[in-house]
Amino acid sequence: MLKKFDKKDEESGGGSNPFQHLEKSAVLQEARVFNETPISPRKCAHILTKILYLINQGEHLGTTEATEAFFAMTKLFQSNDPTLRRMCYLTIKEMSCIAEDVIIVTSSLTKDMTGKEDNYRGPAVRALCQITDSTMLQAIERYMKQAIVDKVPSVSSSALVSSLHLLKCSFDVVKRWVNEAQEAASSDNIMVQYHALGLLYHVRRNDRLAVNKMISKFTRHGLKSPFAYCLMIRVASKQLEEDGSRDSPLFDFIESCLRNKHEMVVYEAASAIVNLPGCSAKELAPAVSVLQLFCSSPKAALRYAAVRTLNKVAMKHPSAVTACNLDLENLVTDSNRSIATLAITTLLKTGSESSIDRLMKQISSFMSEISDEFKVVVVQAISALCQKYPRKHAVLMNFLFSMLREEGGFEYKRAIVDCIISIIEENSESKETGLSHLCEFIEDCEFTVLATRILHLLGQEGPKTNNPSKYIRFIYNRVVLEHEEVRAGAVSALAKFGAQNEEMLPSILVLLKRCVMDDDNEVRDRATFYLNVLEQKQKALNAGYILNGLTVSIPGLERALQQYTLEPSEKPFDLKSVPLATTPMAEQRTEGTPVVAVKQPEKVAATRQEIFQEQLAAVPEFRGLGPLFKSSPEPVALTESETEYVIRCTKHTFTDHIVFQFDCTNTLNDQTLENVTVQMEPTEAYEVLCYVPARSLPYNQPGTCYTLVALPKEDPIAVACTFSCMMKFTVKDCDPTTGEADDEGYEDEYVLEDLEVTVADHIQKVMKLNFEAAWDEVGDEFEKEETFTLSTIKTLEEAVGNIVKFLGMHPCERSDKVPDNKNTHTLLLAGVFRGGYDILVRSRLLLLDTVTMQVTARSSEELPVDIILASVG
Amino acid sequence: MGLLDRLSGLLGLKKKEVHVLCLGLDNSGKTTIINKLKPSNAQSQDVVPTIGFSIEKFRSSSLSFTVFDMSGQGRYRNLWEHYYKEGQAIIFVIDSSDRLRMVVAKEELDTLLNHPDIKHRRIPILFFANKMDLRDAVTSVKVSQLLCLENIKDKPWHICASDAIKGEGLQEGVDWLQDQIQAVKT
Repeated sequence: MLKKFDKKDEESGGGSNPFQHLEKSAVLQEARVFNETPISPRKCAHILTKILYLINQGEHLGTTEATEAFFAMTKLFQSNDPTLRRMCYLTIKEMSCIAEDVIIVTSSLTKDMTGKEDNYRGPAVRALCQITDSTMLQAIERYMKQAIVDKVPSVSSSALVSSLHLLKCSFDVVKRWVNEAQEAASSDNIMVQYHALGLLYHVRRNDRLAVNKMISKFTRHGLKSPFAYCLMIRVASKQLEEDGSRDSPLFDFIESCLRNKHEMVVYEAASAIVNLPGCSAKELAPAVSVLQLFCSSPKAALRYAAVRTLNKVAMKHPSAVTACNLDLENLVTDSNRSIATLAITTLLKTGSESSIDRLMKQISSFMSEISDEFKVVVVQAISALCQKYPRKHAVLMNFLFSMLREEGGFEYKRAIVDCIISIIEENSESKETGLSHLCEFIEDCEFTVLATRILHLLGQEGPKTNNPSKYIRFIYNRVVLEHEEVRAGAVSALAKFGAQNEEMLPSILVLLKRCVMDDDNEVRDRATFYLNVLEQKQKALNAGYILNGLTVSIPGLERALQQYTLEPSEKPFDLKSVPLATTPMAEQRTEGTPVVAVKQPEKVAATRQEIFQEQLAAVPEFRGLGPLFKSSPEPVALTESETEYVIRCTKHTFTDHIVFQFDCTNTLNDQTLENVTVQMEPTEAYEVLCYVPARSLPYNQPGTCYTLVALPKEDPIAVACTFSCMMKFTVKDCDPTTGEADDEGYEDEYVLEDLEVTVADHIQKVMKLNFEAAWDEVGDEFEKEETFTLSTIKTLEEAVGNIVKFLGMHPCERSDKVPDNKNTHTLLLAGVFRGGYDILVRSRLLLLDTVTMQVTARSSEELPVDIILASVG
Repeated sequence: MGLLDRLSGLLGLKKKEVHVLCLGLDNSGKTTIINKLKPSNAQSQDVVPTIGFSIEKFRSSSLSFTVFDMSGQGRYRNLWEHYYKEGQAIIFVIDSSDRLRMVVAKEELDTLLNHPDIKHRRIPILFFANKMDLRDAVTSVKVSQLLCLENIKDKPWHICASDAIKGEGLQEGVDWLQDQIQAVKT
């Protein structure tokens, strides 16, 4: 990064930019010239340019200095120089949020906007709206209305666009200008019509009926402006998207636009149809044929737009695009490389397996000439191909590696690495070649993130390959050559090799001993830690501390540790008291976009549990329950969505208790509920301990009540249970307008739907990177095995999905993906049972006519194993 | 400044430019006065309350005036001071019929006179006791008593009774101002 920056400096060092090395204080000093008389317009305009340049470069102006400069600038209004005046408008707009009392120029601007000089009027309107807040808007309303219907197009457009901006903060005032906007919408000027329509739409945006009326009105009369047509198409397609139905006049309108005389409108209509969700092949056909025509247009922009849109269509409906294959073939040799790239990637999606080799050859001929952005598109196309044709991975892999060796930015390289990793994951045959290519890549990789990521992957996958020792050299090279972050990653990877390969252990120990001398703290710490663990030569330690990392939530650990240091006690710190990390929901990658990294909402998930914990800790009845073990990920609705009361339940599991949290909302505006509790009747041996009522539940203000139950002690295996629920409360009638309640109330009840507690509520998902090691670590002391027949399930995928969902455990080592054309599969699941006992489940599945399942469960305690087996049966 | 400009300046053809601040409470008639002083073809038909300030220009027989017509509304009065430094003369307008707020006007005047940018300068101040056409208007002498103008010792000042709607009394004031400014210059 640093190197790049230097280079840039050198390039621009030729003095091409006169504003380089500007000093803020010096410029502000210069701005005092504004106060002199007579004014020199040229000099002042130049200084204003400097100020604007500084602001746009991100220079921070303090309020005082900005205000001072602003007031000095206001004096420039005495000059009538057009350039200077324009600079003033710009400065006003830029400084409107930095300086104070900017409304000082209001009168000067209104004078300009009502004046005779047309050149001043538009910009003055825009500047005026920028400095006006909702309280001041009334004062200029009259001028704005006049400006909207002004016969000078630039003034009218400026007023309309400014109104659009004002809409955000003063909707009610701008709403009154609809009549003027209506008048402007029938203007002959294409821009004015477009802007007026835009304003009208945004005023009515929340009123579906009004929008529909507006569209039908304008489409009946026809519009002059192609821009306005484009806008209408966008609005119409948005309406359609919300409706979900296709046989409305809106769709007919969009389709009729395919025959418009403006290419812009035709393209917009085609693109709108293509982007409609759930579009049928018949609806798609006219749009695709229009795009096909564009493919042979002499205008490069049109060809580009067409092929780009077709590329998108090809992702969802490859068959619809096949008709254009011939035109796309012609575009492969287009002189514009962007068009050619898109054409090829589209063909890759629609074409047959046999044409892949040819297309790949073609694209590699000009790969070096296109920009990173398009290279990413190519990589995405390849990644999609790999999923479709796994047999082609050798060709594609080679291509990816040749791309990896070339120059490229971070996004591009990351896309390639993501793609390779997903190929390795999907396709075990390609693992060895893939890993060795990645090894070569990190030999010369300038991106720390990618290097550490690959090192992690090597540590995970490398030891399981036939010849693990060949990776050691690459990893140790990193320890010698790279900077600290990569070195630390490499040390961790080394340790993983040592933990899993007996014969390599001595050499790994030697290497780690060398790392102990490292300059960096983190690297040294890791090396010392791993060295000590490995020297114990105990499988359980290796599994617990090297192969599978901490499973607790990091913020939770931080808090627990802080708490521990605040209250010193004799007892050692208990890691089990720390809440576990909730495994993020969004882990399954979406199928369509395999290369796009999913941003995992880890932070949010961790804090959600924190919030619950804090809320629960505030209730005195729940003291002494111990740490919160698990909160159910999504609240369950116990009522239909549109009934009198909306009740949703979240289950909080503690070591020996469960707390049900009911979030209640009263949707009747003539009632206030008081003393709300939810009475629960368990079917099993659960015991209801106490109810914590919600004191008062006024209209539309959510309240919370709790029910605390103890888990069955005598029959601990029966954890699954159904509760019948009934809400009890005191109703007080109240005045809907004032919300004032009567003094007298009466008791009432409301029956809710039943609530289920399942095994999944007792188990927290945990990710074990290395299942085998964890399996050995737990040992077979409490191992049980049973065989079941799943008579209703017909496929392995279905069986796997059901088991994962039922047990609420985390599938490990990607065992939730069932390879095609196999009739046996092993599903590995990991979790932590309430109380902090690791529980691991291995289930072997066999598909004949129905699915037969052999479940083996291990845990450090007997109870969880029994519960799992009892619940499955 | 082109050569021609300088030449015409030497010959006295080009009029000297002076900056004048027009101050006073809201609704005292500042904008109306300035509007009336402008050439008749440049006058605007309707006068609305000024927000912030506006810059106007007019000429007298030997000077070219650039007037900063400031807003008199309470919330903008503290912004006047930003323009004190450049002002070479002050026009202070008083609504003679508004006895109630005469004390407010006096207070604003005192603040103005004690401002560091004004205090030590011999800057001419022209007072317009405006709205003389109204029935309950007090005389200019009474106004000057109410404002204690006699206490201003170090600055030349002059008070004119005026009726800005008809334009009466304005020319007299401007002539006085012109003389004062030229006296300072020479």
